[in-house]
Amino acid sequence: MMETIMELKDVWKIYRMGEVEVPALRGVSVKIKKGDFVAIIGASGSGKSTMMNLIGCLDIPSRGSLYLKSQDISRLGESDLASLRGKTIGFIFQQYNLIQSMSAFENVMLPLEFLEYEDRKAANRTREILALVGLSDKMHHRPTQLSGGQQQRVSIARSLVSDPEIILADEPTGALDSVTGREVLEMLHSLWKKHGKTIIMVTHDLNLAKYASTTIELKDGEILKISKIRGIGE
Amino acid sequence: MKLNKCFKHAFNMVLHSKLRSWLTITGIVIGVAAVIAIVSIGDGMQQSLNAQLNALGGDIVTISPGFERGGGMFGMRGGGGGSSGPQATTKEIVLGRSDLQALKGLPDIALIDTNIRGSVDISYLGKTGKVSVTGVDQGVWSQITTSKIKTGRMLDSADQNVIVIGGRLASSYFDQPVGINKMITINGSAFRVVGILDDQSNSVYMPIQMAYQMIPDKTNDIYYTLVVKIRDENQLDEVITKIENKLMTARHVTTKSKDFSVSSRKEMQQARADTMNSMNTFLLAIAAVSLIVGSIGIANTMFTSVLEKTKEIGIMKAIGARNHDILLIFLFNAAFIGLVGGIIGIMLGTLLSGFMPALMGGLPMARGTAIVTLNSIFMALSVSVTVGILAGIIPAYQASKLKPVDALRYE
Ligand SMILES: Nc1ncnc2c1ncn2[C@@H]1O[C@H](COP(=O)(O)OP(=O)(O)OP(=O)(O)O)[C@@H](O)[C@H]1O
Ligand SMILES: [Mg+2]
Repeated sequence: MMETIMELKDVWKIYRMGEVEVPALRGVSVKIKKGDFVAIIGASGSGKSTMMNLIGCLDIPSRGSLYLKSQDISRLGESDLASLRGKTIGFIFQQYNLIQSMSAFENVMLPLEFLEYEDRKAANRTREILALVGLSDKMHHRPTQLSGGQQQRVSIARSLVSDPEIILADEPTGALDSVTGREVLEMLHSLWKKHGKTIIMVTHDLNLAKYASTTIELKDGEILKISKIRGIGE
Repeated sequence: MKLNKCFKHAFNMVLHSKLRSWLTITGIVIGVAAVIAIVSIGDGMQQSLNAQLNALGGDIVTISPGFERGGGMFGMRGGGGGSSGPQATTKEIVLGRSDLQALKGLPDIALIDTNIRGSVDISYLGKTGKVSVTGVDQGVWSQITTSKIKTGRMLDSADQNVIVIGGRLASSYFDQPVGINKMITINGSAFRVVGILDDQSNSVYMPIQMAYQMIPDKTNDIYYTLVVKIRDENQLDEVITKIENKLMTARHVTTKSKDFSVSSRKEMQQARADTMNSMNTFLLAIAAVSLIVGSIGIANTMFTSVLEKTKEIGIMKAIGARNHDILLIFLFNAAFIGLVGGIIGIMLGTLLSGFMPALMGGLPMARGTAIVTLNSIFMALSVSVTVGILAGIIPAYQASKLKPVDALRYE
């Protein structure tokens, strides 16, 4: 049925701190279907962010392999990984991670500049996406001139602008109050339904995990449970 | 990322850390300004030196009795307005009639001026003093000397009790200025002033026969120096050799026991030029050091800004920046700082070099005007940009090599 967009095969990530080895992921194997909305949950320190970084090609596994659309990405060089990230993956971070010296518009357009879009096309696309997240009137504001929720919407816009297949969100609501957090999640959810993106989200909040259609529960670097939720997501 | 975008982001980085960027730029400005000022002054001095060299007669050769010590021609005997006598140790070593005869036998020589020099008492309208008098072969002197007449005339062959005096002696030595046709008393005899030189000396020139009578302890046909004008300036070195050989034969001396020296203005000027060159090199080295310090400033700023921007570098990498995008952004940043520093430095340097001759007015060699050539501007610009890039390479490379996860975690 649904094709697999991302596959982890016996992935280990061991952090080395001097003499001590910290195994953050221990033999994780999982397949993520195209178009799925996955929530990764688990206690603090269970390895959620570590797994996210690997899926997002920001880091390389100590052992095991990762396949993105059947391509083994653990073998790619840094520049190829960067291009792949730019085209295929959009990131939403807990701390928004906007560039402070740039306006909302410039922040959102940045991924297109790395992809060498033609200027006018990039500007149009940026405006379109900012409208989609409801920030048309705040385009030229700096991050410091925006509320937390608005900043997170800018960062969602940035993750979407190059039309990537996968959106990765590490605690996207972690810095927001529950009402704003819910709004942001509603937005992610509607994007998922409307545009058929694959969304992988890390969260603490089990209420928010309910928006997902699949949850992966981690414990001490291992997968405890994968569950398909038939609920709001359907 | 396209180059123009890299440049845009680099430019924005400069704009967003204004104070630090300006401080860094100042370092480069000082270095470049120093280089420009010094190079232009060097060029200016070179030009005025060349002009002097031509005006001073490269075809004049001076023969003096005595040995040539270590360093050579320099400072042994002043050319025109000097006042020091021959060296005390050379009493028996003199130039005389036979030397003159020997030189007259050389076809390469156009003119020979014999002269003697000594100290005399001088008085004008009751004011007295002691000056140095030079007795010259008055028929030849006017054609050999490099001094110029301001008023009146040079000495000529029929002259007897007349003198030509230096500019300062005429204007300010005595209580009142001395004009043409005024009488000055020298060791008790009256002399009429027929010419005043266009210089700042206290010198007095008179016919050599008069000088033999006026200056005590002088014997006829014993000369202080022989000044020779040669026919072809381009043959200078050859003629000097010929003169030396001829005189060695006439005086029965060998190269080792040589008891006279032959020197030309050109050599003196050359020695001067050499001194000036090494002074120039020294100053340039100082300027270069300040440029190096400036470039270390750039490197420092770049390292700081890489550190400060670590998180942003991580973000950029997460959203698709490749290593060489980051490298270029930081290199452009450094190059931009170098370029702006270079441009401002050139302007400041040009301004400075306008003032420098005045500042260095005390130095006789610095009288020339400073010249800012297109060449030095181009050189300064390319040097400052290169310096910026070189200083930026290591920090930029470091930035480009940051691992995205590590960079993102950085606070
Ligand atoms: N760079 C690192 N160096 C050393 N150890 C690390 C590093 N990053 C993570 N770890 C360790 O790996 C383990 C998993 O960390 P990770 O950040 O993936 O947890 P998490 O599930 O995201 O936790 P949280 O919910 O608090 O964000 C932890 O024990 C952590 O201490
Ligand atoms: Mg985490």
